[in-house]
Amino acid sequence: MLVSKNWLKQYVKLPDSLSPEELGLKLTMSTVEVEGINDLSKSLDGIVVGKILKIEKHPDADKLQVVKVDIGQKLKIVCGGTNLTEGMLVVVATIGAKVLWHGEGEPVEMKKTKIRGVESSGMICASEEIGLGDVYPKQSEVEILDLSLVIPAEAGIQAVGKPIVEVLGLDDVVFDIDNKSMTHRPDLWGHYGMAREVAALYNKDLKKYHPSKIKDGKEFKIKVEVKDQKLCPRYMAVALSGIEVKESPAWLKNYLISVGLRPINNIVDITNYILMDLGQPMHAFDAKHLMTINKIGTDKTIVVRPAKPKEEFTTLDGEDHVLDDSMLVIADEEKPVALAGIMGGLNSEINSDTTTVVLESANFEAVNIRKTAVKLGMRTDSSSRFEKSLDPLNAELAILRAVELIKEMCPKVKVASNLSDVSNFIVNSGPIEITFDFINKKIGQELEAKVIVKILESLGFSVKEKKDRFIVEVPSWRATKDISIAEDLIEEISRIYGYDNIAPQLPVFPIIPPEINEGKLLERKMLDLCIKEFGFNQVDNYAFVSKKQIENLGGVVEKYIELDNPLSKEKPYLRRNLILNLLENIEKNIEFFDAVKLVEVGKVFLEENPGLRMETKGDELLPEQNTWITGLVASKKEQEPFWEVKKFVERLSVIFYVNVEILVSKNTKPWQHSGRTAELVIEKVSIGSVSELNPLKAKNFGLDVRVGLVEINLDRFLEILKKLKPEKKYITISEFPEMVRDVSMTVKTKINHQDIVSEIKKVNELIKSIELFDVYHGSHIEKGSKSMAYHIIYGSFEKTLKTEDVDKIHKKVVKVLQDKFGVEIR
Amino acid sequence: MKEELKQLKTDALKAIEDIKNSKVLEELEVQFLGRKNGEMTKLMKGLKDLEGDTKKAVGILANEVKKAIEGALGNKKQELTQSEWEEKLKKEKLDITQPSLPKKLSGSLHPNTIVQRELEDIFTSMGFMVLDGPELESDYYNFQALNIPESHPARDSHDTFFIKGHKNQVMRTQTSPVQIRAMQKYGAPLRVVVPGRCFRNEAIDASHDHTFYQLEGLLIDKDISVAHLIGVMKELLQGVLKRNVEIRLRPGHFPFVEPGFELDMKCLVCGGKGCGACGHSGWVETVPCGLVHPKVIEAGGLDPKVWSGFAFGLGMTRLVMQKYGIGDIRLLTGGDMRFLKQF
Repeated sequence: MLVSKNWLKQYVKLPDSLSPEELGLKLTMSTVEVEGINDLSKSLDGIVVGKILKIEKHPDADKLQVVKVDIGQKLKIVCGGTNLTEGMLVVVATIGAKVLWHGEGEPVEMKKTKIRGVESSGMICASEEIGLGDVYPKQSEVEILDLSLVIPAEAGIQAVGKPIVEVLGLDDVVFDIDNKSMTHRPDLWGHYGMAREVAALYNKDLKKYHPSKIKDGKEFKIKVEVKDQKLCPRYMAVALSGIEVKESPAWLKNYLISVGLRPINNIVDITNYILMDLGQPMHAFDAKHLMTINKIGTDKTIVVRPAKPKEEFTTLDGEDHVLDDSMLVIADEEKPVALAGIMGGLNSEINSDTTTVVLESANFEAVNIRKTAVKLGMRTDSSSRFEKSLDPLNAELAILRAVELIKEMCPKVKVASNLSDVSNFIVNSGPIEITFDFINKKIGQELEAKVIVKILESLGFSVKEKKDRFIVEVPSWRATKDISIAEDLIEEISRIYGYDNIAPQLPVFPIIPPEINEGKLLERKMLDLCIKEFGFNQVDNYAFVSKKQIENLGGVVEKYIELDNPLSKEKPYLRRNLILNLLENIEKNIEFFDAVKLVEVGKVFLEENPGLRMETKGDELLPEQNTWITGLVASKKEQEPFWEVKKFVERLSVIFYVNVEILVSKNTKPWQHSGRTAELVIEKVSIGSVSELNPLKAKNFGLDVRVGLVEINLDRFLEILKKLKPEKKYITISEFPEMVRDVSMTVKTKINHQDIVSEIKKVNELIKSIELFDVYHGSHIEKGSKSMAYHIIYGSFEKTLKTEDVDKIHKKVVKVLQDKFGVEIR
Repeated sequence: MKEELKQLKTDALKAIEDIKNSKVLEELEVQFLGRKNGEMTKLMKGLKDLEGDTKKAVGILANEVKKAIEGALGNKKQELTQSEWEEKLKKEKLDITQPSLPKKLSGSLHPNTIVQRELEDIFTSMGFMVLDGPELESDYYNFQALNIPESHPARDSHDTFFIKGHKNQVMRTQTSPVQIRAMQKYGAPLRVVVPGRCFRNEAIDASHDHTFYQLEGLLIDKDISVAHLIGVMKELLQGVLKRNVEIRLRPGHFPFVEPGFELDMKCLVCGGKGCGACGHSGWVETVPCGLVHPKVIEAGGLDPKVWSGFAFGLGMTRLVMQKYGIGDIRLLTGGDMRFLKQF
């Protein structure tokens, strides 16, 4: 919102020494965020009032004249204006001033020039050239602004040479206030409320807002029927006759322009002025378009009612809308004439032949206005105020002030009707009780009672002191929503007192170490393992995926949770695994790198599994959102990246002191290579898998490299770690030396290492460990077979083993291998 | 015999003197002192023919000669070993400017993770628990419990992603819902931080992304005041930024706090004089914060008459960008290894 300093000065007297920057900073620090300060007078620097002394024809140009002007000194200026007369007061842009060429574009600095051979020291300006085209509209194309019509004759002589800002009252400063910083303050959406705040900040008096009362007119009656008093707590209307719709006076237009509104005509401008003055939206209907009661007589009915389903309505911006019954309209007996609190209708708009108007000043329920505005996609100055919960008392001040202003501007105007007022509201003024102790504890500093009282009273609260507490009554303009509890008063007291005046304190806490977040710790350990030992690069992808990605990996789109309003129409689904976006990363990077190893930690969303509660009580649950770590390895040279990812999971048992079994997977997922997939199992609980990406699926992602894949559900892993609480324990080293025997053999490929190991283990308890040290598939080996070589380590805690004994057991091992697996010893 | 011994000594010492490598030295040792056929041994064979004092004197001399030769041999040996090694080392010279091969793949943490870990560690050291919460949240926790009822104008500024078919589910727009979940789970007193992803349905450009990281802080205890908030926030920021900072509070409205503040920090780039980085105001808007609204404490299952506290939200993504001078937010989610490998 734009706030004019001159406007504020109508209500509060500010010291001359107060600079706009200081005022802006004060507002920012205590009330609302000032985003910019625009000194309007700066743009009109060097533009002064001049008096035309003499006009001569330009020797070399038919359409130009050489004009002698007095601006305290005498200047010669070449000018093409057609309406120049000697003695006329005009606007002169002197050398160095900035003007808008033809009223458009960036300002251009005036320089001394020669125009067709005649020197010209400035410019006599049209209104648009000094940015005042809206205030002083031109009648013809080549017309300069005739100040003689604007400045009273007696003031004319003194005005010569004076800056135009001073003479036309344009010396204003406008503050640009961040609307987001005042969504909770309905009272600040008009200048009077802002002036109240400024008065409190500078400890100044605020001028009372006292418009004159009006007497009911007798021409006709207005009857207001409010069908839904919850949605419309107050509706006031009055009719004025004898209206002459015309241009507004300059002061009014200046105010409106300074706050960014375009002047239209006196009636509309006055309602807009009230909007910006009190923050109270108003509307003016042309009375002749409001049907009279039962279409006879002169009395008017205004009905505030819900719209009929599918009721059609054209707002005054020319847009057609189809309404529904949740929306409130203002109607006569036949048709809607306004969308309540949002915009008037084209059918009852004020125009030049309007002679009688009906003024509306009402209060509408905030949530309903907001919903309707959102539904229709219309955010207007009016709706954005009503949705803040306006003070219903302002409706009355507004309508009285509007009548006062219209009468001022059109002296022939008469109040034509009764002042109708249908209201059903309570001002929730409290009182709020607040103890001294509460205030001191919340602020953390002791304030004197009289300081507190002064602050609250300056903001319009009334305060009574009672023993250990204040009884505080909330003024109507803060009572709609903004202030209802003692904490709200703390903010009022402390911000006006000044946050800078509160000394920082540190609270005292017992020394207790915080509970460790085991999940985060696990995440860290896993990532560190990936990064430090295996050289993965961590990525951070969006949680959103596309239908194409899902299908490329062999997934079912229907299982995915979908966003209702995705930003990218392509990627509306929430990921169920981290692979999809990681594969896109691989595809993007493999072009630049021989090997790509990427890892991501993130949440996946499974609708079919239960997650946390949606509310404190109740059975509804969110979807499960487990955190997974997923690593992908791809290399142009490596045909079996499986081993690299397996190496990674083999480290888990060492790091976490649990036995992570890597078992042949029985049910591979669609994206896994059916012959190269293992499940990771701890105590019969699966925590993830290690596999090679199914090469067919890889192709769908544009990859012709083999991709190793490790996926671990960190929530599942954590759960089991918490259950097992594994700890590292030292294992005694045997005093007796171990003996090693090797066995080297040819085995059928279908036989797994794991089966061989478990058979060997069964042979004798002196077998301590079995280590595979070589595997070979190649030309020297029969097809369908592989060569394997093992170290078998024998040992005992009781005795030194004898060679004969070990040899005997080892022979048995060999026999078992031959019998069970038909191996050929090499 | 004495003469012979003296001659032997002279010959031997001279021969040792001239030696240039340790192999020849070994040969010499055998030649002079060899047990079987060494010249010394040969000479000493004559000793048994001598008698009395002569025998004794020759014996002493022989011992001296032997020691002298041994000493010379020893010195020479040491001298030669040293110079030979020096020679060898010279030959073994490596081009230490060459990188080690084969190159080891170096991994990297994402910058978000690095900064998040730093923050988690600082807050943990100050006694805060680190918590996590769901990214797909209920409307209740994301809005209602935080004193943002349906149709509250504050919802406007949260461009929310909604879940199809579930009107009451959203992608969380802030980490604040974990305030409620934390109070419900842990009660009071409580000190927690919640780093995590948030989502806003906002068009993406160099400085905006629909997915970004926040770090929520919540402190609940008895008699927590505005003065405490100012004091703690200053300490926290100094801890995070590892330097002295000057802060100021000004009003800021967030429905889940009362009073609410925008906390500004004196610009670290210009020291408050005003520069491009702070929009020439000398202050940078850093942390929205405030005393927790009694309704929020109540939603957390605590009695607002007993418990009070403050909450704050750090924009972690912005912190990452400032720390590393990353000008385009999209790099963070781009998955480009040329970017990732730099961290």
